[in-house]
Amino acid sequence: MSEHAAFQEAFAEAMTAARPIGRVAREPGFAVYRNTWLHGTVEALRATYPSVDELLGDEMFAAVAAEFCRRTPLRDPVLTRYGASFGPFLRRQPWHDDLPYLADVARLDRLWLESFCAGDLCGTGGWQDKYSDRRATVPVLDPTTRFVWLDTPAVSIWLAIQGEEAFEGLEPAWVAEGALFVQRHGRIWAQAIDRLTHRTLLAIAAGNPLSDIAALARAEAIDPATVLQPLVTSGAIQLH
Amino acid sequence: MGPTAGLAFKPVHLEEALLSSAVGLWFEIHAENYMVAGGPRLIMLNALRQAAPLSIHGVGLSLAGASAPDDRHLRALKGLCDRFDPFLVSEHLAWSRVEGSCFPDLLPFPRTHEALDLTARNVDIAQNFLRRPIAIENPSLYLALEGHDWGEADFLAELVKRTGCRLLLDIANVVVSANNLGFDPYAYVDALPSAAIAEFHLAGYRPDPVHGARLLIDSHDAPVSEQVWALYCHALRRFGAMPTLVERDGAIPTFDVLMAERDRAASLMRIGGKVIAHV
Repeated sequence: MSEHAAFQEAFAEAMTAARPIGRVAREPGFAVYRNTWLHGTVEALRATYPSVDELLGDEMFAAVAAEFCRRTPLRDPVLTRYGASFGPFLRRQPWHDDLPYLADVARLDRLWLESFCAGDLCGTGGWQDKYSDRRATVPVLDPTTRFVWLDTPAVSIWLAIQGEEAFEGLEPAWVAEGALFVQRHGRIWAQAIDRLTHRTLLAIAAGNPLSDIAALARAEAIDPATVLQPLVTSGAIQLH
Repeated sequence: MGPTAGLAFKPVHLEEALLSSAVGLWFEIHAENYMVAGGPRLIMLNALRQAAPLSIHGVGLSLAGASAPDDRHLRALKGLCDRFDPFLVSEHLAWSRVEGSCFPDLLPFPRTHEALDLTARNVDIAQNFLRRPIAIENPSLYLALEGHDWGEADFLAELVKRTGCRLLLDIANVVVSANNLGFDPYAYVDALPSAAIAEFHLAGYRPDPVHGARLLIDSHDAPVSEQVWALYCHALRRFGAMPTLVERDGAIPTFDVLMAERDRAASLMRIGGKVIAHV
């Protein structure tokens, strides 16, 4: 290993160690680098998970995030890509049973960000190019569409935090809920969805033909248009 | 008129930025904040680019790293450059990646002959890939490392000679490093190769909360200090008027407050730094 590489490895190891040792680590200026690394990583996580931050509060979020950051190195200088495993990390915390919806709220924050950063192929003509060879009876998801089904009422809690519903005194029914995110006209539309809509989106994502997708609704004696039309209107799917 | 004095772009100021009629105003963005497939960030950047010239400032190439720049990151940077046609692309004399881990910081290193060889190789790789010269920014330093073969100004001059890169002179970084490491900031500026200077950065800093003014932090959360303005005037006299950026990343004030600092830089550019402002 070159001396240059050896220096950088040793510096990085000292910077991230629980108790750094060595001459450099005793210099007052070393703490600046150490603090900047940890602060920068924690704040990147806070920016990605604003609803988790809201629920935990600044101080507890910083403590939990710092623990995550020490265990989970940044692998990419693009900070929006960092912290995909933060939700599962929260679920493993011994206090998670006190906030059993927290990991699901983290999942929703993540999906919002994914939709926010996703390419809108539709807006550039790429959608039409990509799917021009598909049969008109196969609906497709917008590239910015994200959806999920969760075992907790995290969607109601998440929407309340965004100000979409009253947050103070919120006592959601303890039922499973789904969420849909889609980017439209430069903003992200987030909404709760029911089980049938979620199953419909799963079927569309799997590339099923319209006839099979419509059959899901008909099996529940529901007109397929009442499920599909809101998805088309919101831009979550497109029927060619 | 080309770009004169500009501001580090903050999304919160988008509307005022789009409406501003200031002559020569330009904006600098951090490349990594816009490395996304699409969506509101790129829509916003597109609108900004229609209104004003852009400079793209990277923080993630790790040009002083022991390993070569990451291909994926270079491709993303080139994608932004191709799409938004910046008048300048810049990066740092620093490393931030080792053994697959990244650090959201710009880290120091002993300026050895080997470090110069590796940094020159990395700058060459980046410039060849981007098909344009990049400007390399001097870092803010907090540690007196051992084992240097080169002074920083000489290291940068040699890097320019070997790669044809340009230099982004961050005046605040010079003031901070000179204070922390104990060198003469004016002698540092005088030692840089005049023809390579492409841009100036101006920013505020703060004393360390524990160690006070003997350890200054390049915090970007305060107005540009008078020491920085004075050294900026010196740099203008030595290098001439170059696009100048006022940076603020924390405690962000209103657009008008930032524009007042930007206008002061533009005025000094017009008169070639002939007055030492408010020293």
